[in-house]
Amino acid sequence: MPESMDRLLPVDDASWGLEAYVSRGGYAAARQALTSMAPADVIAEVCRAVLRGRGGAGFPAGTKWGFVPQNVSGPKYLCVNADEGEPGTFKDRLILLRAPHALIEGIVIAAFAVGIPKAFIYVRGEYALISERLEAAIAEARAAGYLGPRVLGTDFGLEIVAHHGAGAYICGEETALLESLEGRRGQPRVKPPFPAVVGLFRSPTVINNVETLAAVPQIIGRGAGWFLGRGLAKDGGTRLFSVSGAVRRPGVYELPVGTPLREIIEVHAGGPPEGRRIKAVVPGGLSAPVLKPEELDLPMDFDSLAKAGSMLGSAGIIVIADGTPILDVLHVTARFYAHESCGKCTPCRIGTAWILKVVERLRRSGGGPADLDLVVRLAGGIKGRTLCPLGDAAALPIQALVTKFRSELEQAVAR
Amino acid sequence: MTEAKRVRLTIDGRAVEVAEGTNVLKAAEAAGVAIPHFCYHPGLEIEGSCRMCLVEIEGLPKLELACSTVVREGLVVRTSTERVRTARKDVLEFLLAEHPLDCPICDKAGECRLQDYYDLHGLTAGRMIEARERREKKRPIGRGLILDRERCVLCTRCVRFLRQVTRTGELGVFERSLRSEVGTFEGRPVDNDYSGNLVDICPVGAITSEDFRFKTRAWFLTRKPSVCPHCGRGCAVVVESVKGYPLAAGERRVYRVTARENAAVNGHWICDLGREGRREIDEGRLTGVLRAGAPAKGLSWRTALAEVAASIRSVPGPDRTARIAVVLNARLTSEELAQAKRLFVDGLGLDRISFAGRKPGRADSLLLTAERMPNDRGVLEAGFPPRPPALAELSTAGVLLVFGPYLAEHFEAEALQNVLAAVPAKFLFTAHSGPLDRLATLAFPVAHPAEKSGTYVNIEGVRQPFGRAVAPLPSAVAEGAIFDCLAGRLGLNLGESDVR
Repeated sequence: MPESMDRLLPVDDASWGLEAYVSRGGYAAARQALTSMAPADVIAEVCRAVLRGRGGAGFPAGTKWGFVPQNVSGPKYLCVNADEGEPGTFKDRLILLRAPHALIEGIVIAAFAVGIPKAFIYVRGEYALISERLEAAIAEARAAGYLGPRVLGTDFGLEIVAHHGAGAYICGEETALLESLEGRRGQPRVKPPFPAVVGLFRSPTVINNVETLAAVPQIIGRGAGWFLGRGLAKDGGTRLFSVSGAVRRPGVYELPVGTPLREIIEVHAGGPPEGRRIKAVVPGGLSAPVLKPEELDLPMDFDSLAKAGSMLGSAGIIVIADGTPILDVLHVTARFYAHESCGKCTPCRIGTAWILKVVERLRRSGGGPADLDLVVRLAGGIKGRTLCPLGDAAALPIQALVTKFRSELEQAVAR
Repeated sequence: MTEAKRVRLTIDGRAVEVAEGTNVLKAAEAAGVAIPHFCYHPGLEIEGSCRMCLVEIEGLPKLELACSTVVREGLVVRTSTERVRTARKDVLEFLLAEHPLDCPICDKAGECRLQDYYDLHGLTAGRMIEARERREKKRPIGRGLILDRERCVLCTRCVRFLRQVTRTGELGVFERSLRSEVGTFEGRPVDNDYSGNLVDICPVGAITSEDFRFKTRAWFLTRKPSVCPHCGRGCAVVVESVKGYPLAAGERRVYRVTARENAAVNGHWICDLGREGRREIDEGRLTGVLRAGAPAKGLSWRTALAEVAASIRSVPGPDRTARIAVVLNARLTSEELAQAKRLFVDGLGLDRISFAGRKPGRADSLLLTAERMPNDRGVLEAGFPPRPPALAELSTAGVLLVFGPYLAEHFEAEALQNVLAAVPAKFLFTAHSGPLDRLATLAFPVAHPAEKSGTYVNIEGVRQPFGRAVAPLPSAVAEGAIFDCLAGRLGLNLGESDVR
């Protein structure tokens, strides 16, 4: 396999097409899987690679595939979560834009492994150009026999349908995604049953993130050992780190899992602009509790971040420098979750809105320590009590901001 | 039915055994432990959104939903730990933060889950000092239902009922986040024959009924179980009333009829026809004995009944079969039908006995049957052939006893009038006034089914004994007492059914 397949993302935006992808070794892994491997072997290889879900939860993809009951008649589906909505995260859009065939090849391999004849890609509504390109790539793949009734000339058939969302953060939650895909309001379902058993149209369904599936061809092509060598033993491969905020070179960086956070910010993204100092870092998308400057010497993998009281999540790194009031950060955070709460369950619907009302009052007319206590308490009433992870995603960063920057906030609201 | 496998679990230290597939909430109920909930309803699919039923389950790190967790062997559930109590308090605090607290003018006050749970599980001081959302408070949504969006807790019971039970889907949730609200689709109001259930299942005062709005308070009502007499289903109902019979126009005694759970008959629901049946318990009633359509002042029903007995006695024994006709109806209880059998068939040897009831209507796919009488099966079980009334038979009668006002529904008014004019002695026993009143020699007020106790056998053969839900009108008597009294005056013994 040529060296260029070692990276998920080609540097050149023009090389998204099928020809370029195949010339750098694309679809060789799919051919290998479909023609020389048993489905169970494919799953086993992905399990060995410890490919942890890139959407944010970090659940091992191979294990997830194994949950799908094999002895059922009736349809099974694969849903690709391309509803990239986590603030500070913009890596899936780059895959869709520059390496759509890596995703399609990943889908082919995953679908073959689990025995799925139909896949849906749920694309974030705002990604219009990307959708066009994705549709074009799907058409190319079908024309070339990588999709269709006989994929690569085998008996395995697969169709992919791209579906466009309408702009709701909640639809990135897997069961809300399924509801939306079925044509209903995008709101989460009660689990269990889990989608692997009762998913899309009440059928067994695998749901994976774009980046997760795009990494699958590497694992099959290069082997689990190679993949693990690229990352960590319990967390294989590379991650696409989205870096935004107060850095000199914001962008998406493909680096091994476990690269230290400080290195990503200071070396790769160039550190904060001249004369500014880092005040806070959100390490894994807005939902990840904020870290203080002294907490940045952390390897960026799921377990290390969890140990530090935050999370790797979608690996969206937001750098906040001095000069940005934490009260403002608190406000945009509270506003985002209050706006995006789907409204289905009580603590999230009312709790996020109540927190926003308090924070807006604090910005408008000030307040005292009791108001900050109230914010922490209200977030506590949401945490662990909601139907889906959006509740925790809202409560944890808000609690962390208020707790870690308590004195700044007290000064900011005192009048 | 195959016996479901039993599962043993522990709830708050109490061992309980329930059928496999039961949820923790129902299992707790069986153990005598009430778990508060808004969105869960046993007749609807699980929603899991109110978060009020969170409980601790041993071995699981987070609080879990009692409504969606299915019991497993050996499960250990705790519902009154500090964590659970705090979670309930928090949910109530959230709901109340955006609640208008207009209980003093809310119909639901006194039977409101939010109110009850606050008393049981909340009792926190309000900390909400921000501006509450203002929402529409009296939006008509069809069928006399009024939606108050400020009171709504978004449990979506109403939305799910209309999607899952009536399958008419008139209500949906619109918008997102705190702006979420229940509403109808443009130009499509709630319009189905089960709409009244929305008021029953709304856990708060968000959906109220124009028929009940601001008429009384829930705590003034006496609730008694009964069986709906409006079709062959015989749904379990609750008759909710206050004491006394209204004297002034517009006053009510029976304020509403609501659904009562009976898995064997109606599940959790009743139709609007049965619900509207609250009116006929109070309205259009015959309130005293009439002679030729005019109030017979000073004539008690006992004295009047002596006249009926005398008319019957005046017909010589051998002529009775040809000269006495009786029209019964299937609103009579099975006990009354048995008495009627002994009195008219066994005792007097009559065979000109027919049945006149409400005309059949349209059946729907849920509960309402085409038969609009509650005890057609009881008639058969009592041993009566269900003969319809025939004008020829009535015209040759010397004495005619008619039970119920329904004969008027079976014949042209003029034809019936002509036939009855030729009958020398005709007696009407009816709960409601009607065109027959003035045609009868004497008309007796009888009790409405809600004022009686007895048994109805529904269209599927389910026997449903019921008790008296409201006191009979002061002047009205149940047909059973009339049969007894007649039998006494005619020297007949009705045997064990003699309930005097």
